[in-house]
Amino acid sequence: MNFIIEVLKATIPAGTPLLLGALGEIYVERSGILNLGVEGMMIMGAISAFSMTNITGNVWLGVLISIIIGGGMALIHAFNSITLKANQTLSGLALTMLGLGLSGLIGKGYIGVPLSGKLHNLPVYGFKDIPIIGPIFFDQDPLVYISYVLTLIFWFFLFNTRFGIELRSVGESPDVADSAGINVAKIQYLATFIGGMMAGLGGAYLSVVYAPAWIEGMTAGMGWIVLAITIFSLWRPERAILGSYFFGCIRVLQYRLQPLGISPNLLNMLPFIFTILVLMLAAREISRKRISSPSSLGIPYFREKTL
Amino acid sequence: MLEKYRNLGLSFLVVILGLFGIYLVSGISPYIMLKSIIISAFGSIYGLSETLTKSIPLMLCGLGLSLSFRSSIWNIGAEGQLLMGAIGATWIALYVMPNAPKLILIPMMFIVGAICGGIWALIPAILKVKFNLNEIIVSLMLNYIAIEFVNYLIYGPWKSPYEWGFPYSTKFPISAQLPRILDTRIHYPTLILALVLAIFIYIILYKSKLGYEIRVIGDNIDAARYAGLDIRKIIILVLILSGGLAGLAGVGEVAGIHHRLRVASGISSGYGYTAVIVAWLGRLNPFLIVFVSFLFGGLLVGGDAIQVSLGLPGATINFINGLILIFVLVQSFSKIRLYSTKKGAER
Amino acid sequence: MKDRFLAVLSVILVISLIVPTAYGIGAEKKLRVAFIYVGPIGDYGWSHAHEMARQSLIKKLPWVEFLPPAESVPEADAVRFIDRFVREEKADVVFTTSFGYMDATIEAGKKYPDKIFFHCSGYSRAKNVGTYFAELYQVYYLNGLMAGALTKTNKVGYVGAHPIPEVIRHINAFALGVQEVNPKATVDVRWLFSWYDPSKARMAAESLISDGCDVLAFTEDSPTVVTVGEEYTKKGKPVYTFGHYSPMQKYGPNSCVSGQLVHWEVIYKDILEKIRRKVYTNTNLENVDYWWLLKEKAVELGGDFGVPVNPRFITPLKGKKILDPVFGKISVYDLVMKRLSQMKANPEKFDPFTGPIKDQTGKVRIEAGRRATHDELWNMDWFVPNVIAKIPK
Repeated sequence: MNFIIEVLKATIPAGTPLLLGALGEIYVERSGILNLGVEGMMIMGAISAFSMTNITGNVWLGVLISIIIGGGMALIHAFNSITLKANQTLSGLALTMLGLGLSGLIGKGYIGVPLSGKLHNLPVYGFKDIPIIGPIFFDQDPLVYISYVLTLIFWFFLFNTRFGIELRSVGESPDVADSAGINVAKIQYLATFIGGMMAGLGGAYLSVVYAPAWIEGMTAGMGWIVLAITIFSLWRPERAILGSYFFGCIRVLQYRLQPLGISPNLLNMLPFIFTILVLMLAAREISRKRISSPSSLGIPYFREKTL
Repeated sequence: MLEKYRNLGLSFLVVILGLFGIYLVSGISPYIMLKSIIISAFGSIYGLSETLTKSIPLMLCGLGLSLSFRSSIWNIGAEGQLLMGAIGATWIALYVMPNAPKLILIPMMFIVGAICGGIWALIPAILKVKFNLNEIIVSLMLNYIAIEFVNYLIYGPWKSPYEWGFPYSTKFPISAQLPRILDTRIHYPTLILALVLAIFIYIILYKSKLGYEIRVIGDNIDAARYAGLDIRKIIILVLILSGGLAGLAGVGEVAGIHHRLRVASGISSGYGYTAVIVAWLGRLNPFLIVFVSFLFGGLLVGGDAIQVSLGLPGATINFINGLILIFVLVQSFSKIRLYSTKKGAER
Repeated sequence: MKDRFLAVLSVILVISLIVPTAYGIGAEKKLRVAFIYVGPIGDYGWSHAHEMARQSLIKKLPWVEFLPPAESVPEADAVRFIDRFVREEKADVVFTTSFGYMDATIEAGKKYPDKIFFHCSGYSRAKNVGTYFAELYQVYYLNGLMAGALTKTNKVGYVGAHPIPEVIRHINAFALGVQEVNPKATVDVRWLFSWYDPSKARMAAESLISDGCDVLAFTEDSPTVVTVGEEYTKKGKPVYTFGHYSPMQKYGPNSCVSGQLVHWEVIYKDILEKIRRKVYTNTNLENVDYWWLLKEKAVELGGDFGVPVNPRFITPLKGKKILDPVFGKISVYDLVMKRLSQMKANPEKFDPFTGPIKDQTGKVRIEAGRRATHDELWNMDWFVPNVIAKIPK
């Protein structure tokens, strides 16, 4: 029992960067934009948060700058895919390479440097004494609590507000949305921007809370796992929690399973193998429940114009 | 017409902003950086020989990717397919027929390497056709799995008893080592193979029925469906070919350069990813890809130079790659946009 | 007035320009020395230690021109970096500081027969390629003695970077120390498959702690394990740790007991001086292999330079007494100090890898009374019985 609680307690922080990234990407894809640059935005978030924290000694300033930088990176993608209507796949890949490269360039001086600020665990008064749930969910760092709240907000806004309805209709059928008077480009820009901010925040969590250190290429495929979680969640924020913690749990188990004598290299494959399995699971559910991805995902919207 | 100039302007703006960014971060002027890259990569016989050596895997991976990109299938898994090719070649050279004469052994290594790369690419193909899974994510995940698989082999079953317990396979027998030009590292059999395959792929793409079908699918999948093409079969075929070519690149690296299997990062420093840009910058045209591979080989060689002489990190090259990709994107968006509108309209 | 001032000034200027040049021509040609590092200089482990050594020698060896080093060089690209140093930067001596550079260094030795190469941690040599290594196993053994004394759960953990002979040897030496003081204790291992990855190291360390380990040692290039130990210790669940390679006591003043420190500059200085005196040339390095230990002062015991044991732990270590066949009843602290001075003596009066030593299957690997040979240590691919983990196969 103790073992399970400890694994689950470690799972939450391991899954949090994935959750943050996935929440954002859900909004992006709901608006009909496919941003494959999550990895690039995350790693830029990681390095900007780390460097800012080190310069100012304040973790929250680091987190703030990572959100801004992540959002800024996303605007490049938004410009490419919404204004220029260029190929979104290619633009996303470019964003990934750009992020990995630029972060390495900026981060050169920060390798091996200890972080000057730190976020400590903050047990929530009253909640932390609930058996089982308390130690797992309510003895974590503040950013984890923020991720809980953000999940609620993202869920609420998507399904219960005017903005949510507009976002979804833009993704489903932009021409209908357009004729209903919704500014398609504006909504898409906003969604992509939100997605970038969240990816940046996820990266910040990695470098200033989880590690806490800067390592070149430290996202190590997490951005792509975020994309898989987005699909697995069927574009619903509340389901992203499930997917993210599942992958967090796999990461934690990698080291707990080593004593069983399984080759560590094979254990290291697990997150990636499970990504593929999870995608297959989602594909089955999608076809069974006749859910579809936002129908105009990845397709640029052209306003009908008489030429 | 006006739009064309606007694109050109935008592209240059991207590059200038990017280089200015490097300057801001590192304090090194882009001019000195570019000069250093160009001189070290193309300024001497030695530099040219290294550039050519580096361009071989880029060529093979880029050619393979061009087939899949032309049919709008996003194979981002060349890196993993390359590694699987390297594993296949090692298997043949060390465990299946280590005593075979050179003339049999080396062709077998290339054939089995290509098959291994092809099988690795078959996984995303089948998952796409059967379950409609996104081939980008699947092929990328397979890269990470291939890396761990190489590490598993050299730390486990294939660890050499002669290397003092270090993570290396045994060295290949002489008959499994590719000849090189003089004292350079240019393993010319692979280079010739790549050039021949470039012609071959040109013929497939532009002179064969398969090539026509690939292009139709790539331009407008709904039209292809209308025309009654067996899209699934073509997707599978294209990905196998694409992976097979990357597999050949892996064979060339282990048989021509390293003569053994070693940790994944020692075999490939991201050729599979760089090849994505090579393919696009070469406008998916086989001959242009050969040329662009050479330029990018130079960029990789020059990347080491700026590390030694200017103290910039290796990741700088990644950044330049990303910039170039955006440059390509902005340059060619009107063409790609044409396909997209059709696709959108058909739905 | 002003003119005279200018004239004097220009004379001074001219002299200051000419004299050094003339002097430079008369003086010996400076030896141009290049370093290639596998990791970033800024990490807290391997490459950092080599760079510290290089920097400390810049002032001490004025007749050497140290070229700017190349860091984070991937194994696949090592050949080109060596080429670049030899051809463009005209290096006379190249130090390649990672095992993965072995093939590349040997190849370069053939390509540039008139240059001198030294490869760190390899076993292949040539007439112009020597090898060198500062070996820490004796220090790990001393740490093991302390770990055995400090564990209350009788479970000691070890975070290992890669399952290669160097790390396996260190784990065995550490486990032999634990065994000597505390025969009931076991040593468990988690592998990272990475030299520098703090988040992996953290997960591995936490996994060991949750399995009951309360003392941790490691081979990895970051102070993460010490940081984790400090966090747990402060929370009231003491986890004691041993630093690795660089002074890490500052990361865990309450947790870091001791550790291993390395002095590469001792080896580099010796090599370069011998090259200068033509003791080493490009034709006689076939058998030059440095394997330097405590007695050559290439390594040191401690979590910080000059601090063999964190003062906070001296009392508990003095309180723990064991019965030694030679020394009789002795405190662990005294035992550590005795062994340390025995291994510092030349020739050593003690070595941890002295038989009888069995492996996990009970097979005798080193017969009674015999000291393990250099090759046996280099090749080590087995664990001693009190290690409960397995080497990945």
